[in-house]
Amino acid sequence: MSSSANPFVNAGRPASSRLSRAAAIVGVGHSDWVGDWKRTRAGEKPSDGYGYGAIAFREALADSGLKRDDIDGLIAGPATAYERLSEVLGIDPRWGDQADAVLSVIKAITAVESGLAETIALVYGNDQRSAKIQYGGPQAMGGDAFLSYVYHAPWGLTSQGALYALTFQAWKHARGFEGDDLGYVAVAQRAWSSMNPNAIQRKRITLDDYRNAPYICEPLRLFDYCQINDGGVALIVTTAERAARLGKPPVYIQGFGRRDLNQGATSLEPRLTDYYRPAQEDCARQAYEMAGFGPADMDMLQVYDSFSVHVPLALEGYGYCKIGEVRRFFREQGIGPGGKLPINTSGGHLSETYMQGWAHQIECVRQLRGECGERQVPNCRHAHYTSDVCGNAVSIVYSR
Amino acid sequence: MTDVVEAVRTPPAVMGLYDGPMWASIREGTMRLQRCLNCGEMQYPPGPVCPHCLSSNLEWQPISGRGTIVSWVVYHRTYLAAYPEPYNVVAVKLAEGPFMASNLEGETPAQSWIGAPVRMVYSTMLDGTVLPRFTLAATSAGKTP
Ligand SMILES: [Zn+2]
Repeated sequence: MSSSANPFVNAGRPASSRLSRAAAIVGVGHSDWVGDWKRTRAGEKPSDGYGYGAIAFREALADSGLKRDDIDGLIAGPATAYERLSEVLGIDPRWGDQADAVLSVIKAITAVESGLAETIALVYGNDQRSAKIQYGGPQAMGGDAFLSYVYHAPWGLTSQGALYALTFQAWKHARGFEGDDLGYVAVAQRAWSSMNPNAIQRKRITLDDYRNAPYICEPLRLFDYCQINDGGVALIVTTAERAARLGKPPVYIQGFGRRDLNQGATSLEPRLTDYYRPAQEDCARQAYEMAGFGPADMDMLQVYDSFSVHVPLALEGYGYCKIGEVRRFFREQGIGPGGKLPINTSGGHLSETYMQGWAHQIECVRQLRGECGERQVPNCRHAHYTSDVCGNAVSIVYSR
Repeated sequence: MTDVVEAVRTPPAVMGLYDGPMWASIREGTMRLQRCLNCGEMQYPPGPVCPHCLSSNLEWQPISGRGTIVSWVVYHRTYLAAYPEPYNVVAVKLAEGPFMASNLEGETPAQSWIGAPVRMVYSTMLDGTVLPRFTLAATSAGKTP
């Protein structure tokens, strides 16, 4: 299916081009992921979600050179209540919202461009590890919603990992992909994280290490899973005009797109037939049209990676390689350091830390600013972030 | 005895307003789903209207129990006492159209799981819960060539 044969009746036009480069990220910050990983593993509880968010916010303010009084908008991440987060941060916003990583950036752009707020803090904090939050098992997500891994719990299908294992099994069968070739993702991301002092897993691994690790939910192995951790991330978004007056080079939101595949979601049909590709392709079409360029011009790709499976699906769905060519892409082009397409240059959820997509945004900003030291992608001009969590495909293109 | 049953409690089914009749039919050994009398489509999970045409004219009808495996996994970790590892989960495309997650009981496919024809069986769990599951249809059992 190509974008010229769009399956959506209401395909729509990409978001108004006036939103392209209307807003920029001017400050980023995060909590001490490595230190808190050690402390939570030792049974301590360094802070709660609000505290981690506050630490990240403090860092982001310092990074931007702005004062707290400059902030007139706040978006709280999904794990903290908006009102309490405002209270903890000492902010009375004139505009506020709650959203996940990628939608918070898009909401901030629209708020800034329409004048609802001028300078918005996007703050994520989560004590998921020390609070023993389960993303699988009988208590997952309250256990009473129409989430597919809750609906199928009577059959023992109780985890997000199993849903992606089912998707990967069907996809690799359709593509003739060897299961162990998925190991290229974990190996590459660990090579990146070995150069990232903020990553909690920095020891390089080999394809043999990958193959020798146990299955968790076959066909997925240990290294296909993310690193659940406590932590916080914050970003500050403001108008392009104001961004130009600040100290750090602005990172502009050049384009974005979204398409959700919700029909048949509980029954797993969209993830098992086309592996969410129609959503990815339509999301890509919008984001590339708004940005004014496409995958060939991207200097790096950041993929929401709760599981390594997201990466091969994104390569096909967002037009980085032809259907059925991911295996060759991994082997011949490369996605690790020195590869043709650097992917998840921080190590991502698999190796840096699982911040539910938030840390991927600040990695885009730091790469585009040229702040990434040993793992810096040379002359990084355009970074594409994408998430396709359970059929909700969202992309942002960040540019210098 | 109560403790034993509690220890192997089957994870409870979501009981939305429209799930009750389906689970009642499962306990009776003939699973029923809603068929839309306007457009003919069946839906799973059950719901308030037909998602294909928005009609409310739905009728509970028995399903054939026939289907095809579209994907499968094997858990190698135990998260639930009712499901000690290793155990499988299969996604089955029912002959009537909808996809459904379940388990494959008995023999496993000699060749590819994906594409293997299956038929529904009704399993009684240790705590008495009846679950619709699948076994290989005769033609794809491991022993036959
Ligand atoms: Zn209908």
